[in-house]
Parts: sequence; C-alpha cells; structure tokens
Amino acid sequence: MKTLKNLGYVLALPVLLVLLWWVSTRGEPNFFVPTPAALVDVFGPTWFEGRITADVLPSVARLLAGLAIAIILGIAVGLLVGLNRTLRALTEPVFEFFRALPPPVLVPVLILLVGLNDAMKVAVIVVGCIWPVLLNTIEGVRSIDPVQNETTRSYGISGMNRIRYQVLPSAAPTIMAGIRQSLSIGLILMVISEMFGSSSGLGFTILQFQRSFAIPEMWSGILVLGLIGLALSLIFQWCERRVLRWYHGLKEVENAA
Amino acid sequence: MQPDAISANTTPAPEGAVPSGRTLPEGEALLSVRGLKKVYSTDGGPIEAVRNLTFDLGHGELACLVGPSGSGKTTLLKIIAGLLGATEGEVLLDGKKVTGPPKKMAVVFQEYGRSLFPWLRVADNVELPLKNAGVPKEERRERVAAALEAVGLAHVPKSYPWQLSGGMQQRVAIARAVAYQPEVLLMDEPFAAVDAQTRADLEDLTRRLWKDLGMTILFVTHDIDESVYLGERVIILSSSPTVVQEDIVIDLPVDRTQLETREMPRFTELRHHVYEQIQLAKKGHRPDAAH
Repeated sequence: MKTLKNLGYVLALPVLLVLLWWVSTRGEPNFFVPTPAALVDVFGPTWFEGRITADVLPSVARLLAGLAIAIILGIAVGLLVGLNRTLRALTEPVFEFFRALPPPVLVPVLILLVGLNDAMKVAVIVVGCIWPVLLNTIEGVRSIDPVQNETTRSYGISGMNRIRYQVLPSAAPTIMAGIRQSLSIGLILMVISEMFGSSSGLGFTILQFQRSFAIPEMWSGILVLGLIGLALSLIFQWCERRVLRWYHGLKEVENAA
Repeated sequence: MQPDAISANTTPAPEGAVPSGRTLPEGEALLSVRGLKKVYSTDGGPIEAVRNLTFDLGHGELACLVGPSGSGKTTLLKIIAGLLGATEGEVLLDGKKVTGPPKKMAVVFQEYGRSLFPWLRVADNVELPLKNAGVPKEERRERVAAALEAVGLAHVPKSYPWQLSGGMQQRVAIARAVAYQPEVLLMDEPFAAVDAQTRADLEDLTRRLWKDLGMTILFVTHDIDESVYLGERVIILSSSPTVVQEDIVIDLPVDRTQLETREMPRFTELRHHVYEQIQLAKKGHRPDAAH
C-alpha cells in the first residue's frame, strides 16, 4: 500500500505533464513539436536499432570516465591542498579563477591541444567537473572541527590513517555536495563536446536530427538525455544514502532537538 | 595504589620562593610539570596565560586541577597533552620531555559530541586508536568489550554516538580512553556539559575506574564540589597569569558515595577551604612572590 502511494507521488506530475503536452498538440499540429504518440513511435526505431551501441553507450562511457577522473583527481588534490595552509593560500585564488571560466569555452582550446578524439571529450568533462569536487573537498577538509583534530592528534592518529579514518569521512558531506554539482555539469559537457567536429555520440546525433529536420527524432534524443540524467541522479542518491547514512541520521537528531 | 598523601605541600610557599605544587623526589614522579609558562602572542600584544607552574603527579594518583574561569586550565592541560607548545619550562612523562602528544596519554575532552566520530559506531570509536596503534584484532575486540563493560555501555556497541544521550556519549569517550590503556588520563572539564544527575554518575564512574584499573588521572574542573569529591588531591590554580595557589590533600575515605561523602564534616571543611582560595584567586590575591 505504501509503495503504491509512493509510486503515485513519483508518477503524478510526469503523467500530468504528458497529458498537458498531449492536449496542447492535439489541435493544429506544429511541425516543430511532435505529439506524444509520434515521439513514442519514433523512439524505438531511432535508438534501439544500432544507435544505442554506436552513439549512446560511447557517450555514457566518456561521461562516466570523465566524471570518475574528475572525482578522484578532485578529492586527491583537494586533500593535499586542504591539509596544507600554505598550499591553500597559494592556490585558492587561482582555483576560483578557473572555476569561474564557463567550461564550454574549453572545448575549442582542448580541440587544439588534445585533438579531435575521445581523449578531448573526456578531458572537457574532467576540466569542467573537477572544480566543484576540488573546491568542496578543500572546504570540507579545512572546516574539520578542531576538537576532532585534537582527538586524532592526542591518539597519535596521523598520515594515511588520519585521512582514511577522520579527514575523508568528516569531509564526505561537503565532497558529496560537490560531486552532485559535477554530475549535471558533466552531462552538459558530454553533449557540448560532441557538437564540435564529431561524427558520433548523443550530442552529434541530436544536432544531426535537427539539421535534417527529423524533428520527432530530435526530441527523442532530448528524452534520452533526460533519462540518462535521471539515472545518474538516482545512482548518486543511492550511493549518497549509503555513504552519508550517519550524516542524515545525525541531522535528523539535531533537527528534532 | 593509594597515593602518598603526606608529602603534599599544604602550606603556602615559603617567603620569596615561587609558589609551586607538591613535587616528588627524582624518579618517583610519573608526570612532572616544571616552571611552565605560556604566553600567547596576539595582535593586541602578548598575553601571559600561564606564568609559572610546577607540580608532580605520582603513579596511580587522582588529582583535580581547579581554578577560576579563565585561569588557563585548558591551556595547561593542552600543554601537558603535547597539543600545545610551552613558552618556557617543560613537561616530563616518565622522565622524558613531552614534545608532541605522547603515546601513553589519553585525553577526554569536554565537547564529547565533537570528539567522537559521528560516522563510527560506538565500538568502532573505541577501537580506532587501538587499530591505529596496530593492536591485533583479537586483543582489540577484548579491550573494546572490556572498556564498554567498564563504563556500563556493553549493550550499545552498534549504536552511533549521536543516538545516545550526552552522558552516554561522554562514557563512550571515556571508554575509548580506557581501552587505550594510557599511563595518564587527562580529563578537561569532561562533565561540564551534562546535567547534574548524569554528572554525579560520571563522577562515581571516574572514581571506580581509578580504583579498579589503577589509572593515573589528572582531572580539570571549575567545579569546587566536584574537585573535592573526586580528587585525592586538589591543585588550586590562581587567576591568570596562572601559578599554583595551593596544593592540598583530600583526606576523605577512598570509598565515596554522593550522599554520605558530601554530608561529611570533613567534606564541608575541604570544600569551604577550596572555595575560599578560589574566591581569593578571583579577587586577584596571589601567593607571595608570584606577583
């Protein structure tokens, strides 16, 4: 009964939106906006007859690779900088500058530096996604409670043990918030990186449909993008709940008090 | 086990000498504080928090450091714990100079909620320092279980600290220190943030751990009643810049109970005495030669 109710909450608004879309495309048809039925008709043939392996999976693979590199690199450099006051003072203004650059402008630069290949597309994602993770890791490490630090010091917990048992878990909530931001940036950059001098991938395909006036197909590509984003966010939420279970519990207790 | 109470310095320092707490003959002290001075340099100029502190702690002693608020108690404790450097003087543990946090020491902080790791369950919190020290798994398990048993928390090893009451959380912090088996246990106003009833329980727990496990404890508090009830010895600090105002023996029976001990005439006398000294310290009275 409870699952049914929850399912109702999840589906209510999407169903309403589709209905609205259906009603508004019912009268005189607009060439640029297909009806829901037309979209459903083209969805299967467009994606499940080759494009899923030729375009979608490679795109997703590049996205995941870029995100993974950005997260690992961001956390590693963030730990290094966050734990060192001098390094922090030295790097923070520079990091803020790079963070302020809109990542899409990096595409032409990286095409010149890396070339027109997969590495360039992954590099775009890494360069764009690393900042929220990096800066949040620095912030999370910097703002560790001084009493907590004194506790680890007094028990002689230092070096890798300190990072593993104190610093990383303590900074985890802030780091996770950074990762959440980098997910959406990654999806945007995945598409943009495929719109320049590319011959495959989701971004390329959607642009191709638009240029050849395959309007329902173009819309179906946007739907695929939305579904990928949704899947990413669900996976992230699942991970976050596991990693930060203690944190959510703690917040609940604090809010109740 | 019983500390040698007779040698304590119960009279004010002799004329002209820098007042100091009781010291022990060379080689007998577990912890020695010698001529300790701490000056903080701030934007507004140097601030002298601790002027000159000297006292010894023998094996198996339970001593309370009590002083008016702002008398540099926490500063002193942090220097002893090796968390803070001294400007002058030194701290010796087993005859060796303390330059960083020594292995044989454990600290129980006042802020239990910030000192325990919220992402670790109770037993894991207690186990972490042992894991870090490379204690074998089987021994770790035994020591954690014994420590939790000793503080009366054997039933909640799988809980998270934040699921427990304040008093229970401080018990976890105490269990963590006990399992570590330190030679000296430093406690920095550990019960200042819990309610009065819990506080009484924790005081009795501290005395029991001291008696049963033969620990050496240095207990910092601003609470006069607590210092007299808990300590075998009370070191009274002056107001800042701090010196030892007086170092007295608490000659109450070893077995103490909240009701009977606190109703004893001797308890009242001692409490009266400590209270007077603290009042004097607050008014700026200082032992001779410490001006």
